[in-house]
Amino acid sequence: MATTRVLARLAATRTAAVRPAVFSRGFASVTDTSARDPISKAAEKIVPDPARTVVPESKTSTVKEPEPSKDAKIKTFHIYRWNPDEPTAKPRMQSYTLDLNKTGPMMLDALIRIKNEIDPTLTFRRSCREGICGSCAMNIDGVNTLACLCRIPTETTKESRIYPLPHMYIVKDLVPDMTNFYKQYRSVKPYLQRTTPSPDGREYRQSKEERKKLDGLYECILCACCSTSCPSYWWNQEEYLGPAVLLQSYRWIADSRDEKKAERQDALNNSMSLYRCHTILNCSRTCPKGLNPALAIAEIKKSMAFT
Amino acid sequence: MAFIVRPSLLRQSFASPAAAQRVFSTAASSSMRQTSPLVQQLRPAFARTAAPKASRIAAFHATQRQQILPPLPQKVVGTTNDPTPIPDPAPAHGSYHWSFERLVAAGLVPLTVAPFAAGSLNPVTDSILCALLVFHSHVGFESCIIDYFPKARIPKIRSAAMWALRLGTVTLGVALYSFETNDIGITELIMKLWHA
Repeated sequence: MATTRVLARLAATRTAAVRPAVFSRGFASVTDTSARDPISKAAEKIVPDPARTVVPESKTSTVKEPEPSKDAKIKTFHIYRWNPDEPTAKPRMQSYTLDLNKTGPMMLDALIRIKNEIDPTLTFRRSCREGICGSCAMNIDGVNTLACLCRIPTETTKESRIYPLPHMYIVKDLVPDMTNFYKQYRSVKPYLQRTTPSPDGREYRQSKEERKKLDGLYECILCACCSTSCPSYWWNQEEYLGPAVLLQSYRWIADSRDEKKAERQDALNNSMSLYRCHTILNCSRTCPKGLNPALAIAEIKKSMAFT
Repeated sequence: MAFIVRPSLLRQSFASPAAAQRVFSTAASSSMRQTSPLVQQLRPAFARTAAPKASRIAAFHATQRQQILPPLPQKVVGTTNDPTPIPDPAPAHGSYHWSFERLVAAGLVPLTVAPFAAGSLNPVTDSILCALLVFHSHVGFESCIIDYFPKARIPKIRSAAMWALRLGTVTLGVALYSFETNDIGITELIMKLWHA
């Protein structure tokens, strides 16, 4: 036994000296658990795993209200957390309890209070806190909305759940990646296009009726709540433009001062860009500004019919 | 044979006598055994802790995971400041297609109701109804295929599905034609079923 051990040691030292580490890579070993995975498994390492469900809040910790008073109205918030610094870790639902008496009325107030007083690592976008910037769009209790326009339900028995916008690539916690959305917005050329100067050399004039057509269109703040609530946009995000961008497209098609209406319509005249809308109407239902993107899409379709 | 090239493993196997015994009993396959979680569970506790860390966390999959079109890693075409590519106008797949589709869908409503409301059977309305039904179902399924089989990602499955749909539509057309010419026709059939 002793001789074998010595021989084994000798062999080990010899090979280590002779053979560089590169060539020992091909041997199967227990430390390299992925060495003999089939090719299909190798792809799984690159592809983020959708079946990798979120760790439910029952398996994560709860961060409590720092100093609860006697008559505290404690409400629980479950918030989606994922940190890009730990890319292999599963996303998880972190629970926080807050005293509603010390918190403002809106969901954004709760998030800001959590970030200020309980957990500074919580990440979300916010700017104007009054529903005009569209930064704080997220999925609250199953509905895409702006956190600053969403009241916290006062019944404390119901727990609130906050997720980022669905079917978006997540940068961190509640922050989705909007690159594709903004690129699509750019593709509809959201600016006035005309070649003829105005008759009197001053601003381009509109009648009151012409101006009225833009009501309900220009108010859109591009928060992407409608687009990310559309199943068709979930399936074909790369090609279908989505309700928000189509609403913006119609805002310029309907504008009486714009002279590139035909070109704008031509850009939508294919099977993917516009006609993936199946009038599911999730967009109109979810819009936190009360606009009607589905109507705008229907107007585009109507204006393009039989042309 | 892994420990010949991995001295670190060898050191771990000598750390406990039980592990060392295992190494020398079946030298070649011992490294394989360490990976199996079942063996890990069956082993006594002290031996389990003696096994190297890496082998304890080895994943065990009985079946391969099956996912339908898992999301790919994010890919930004061009720079972030470029617009998404604008496709060439194709009215045949765009506005014409949509207008025709709506016309057919709207036309199907009176055609379905009329024979029963009027109580008269006319082979002409019957044949129009059949033709529009075939077109309507084709367009509907085509829309499903376009939605669920993205062309950029699975072009072969997409075209296979499209050809299967075309085949199905032709079969349906031929079947309805022969049913109309050789048999009683669909309106009569539904009437018979209704009264049966």
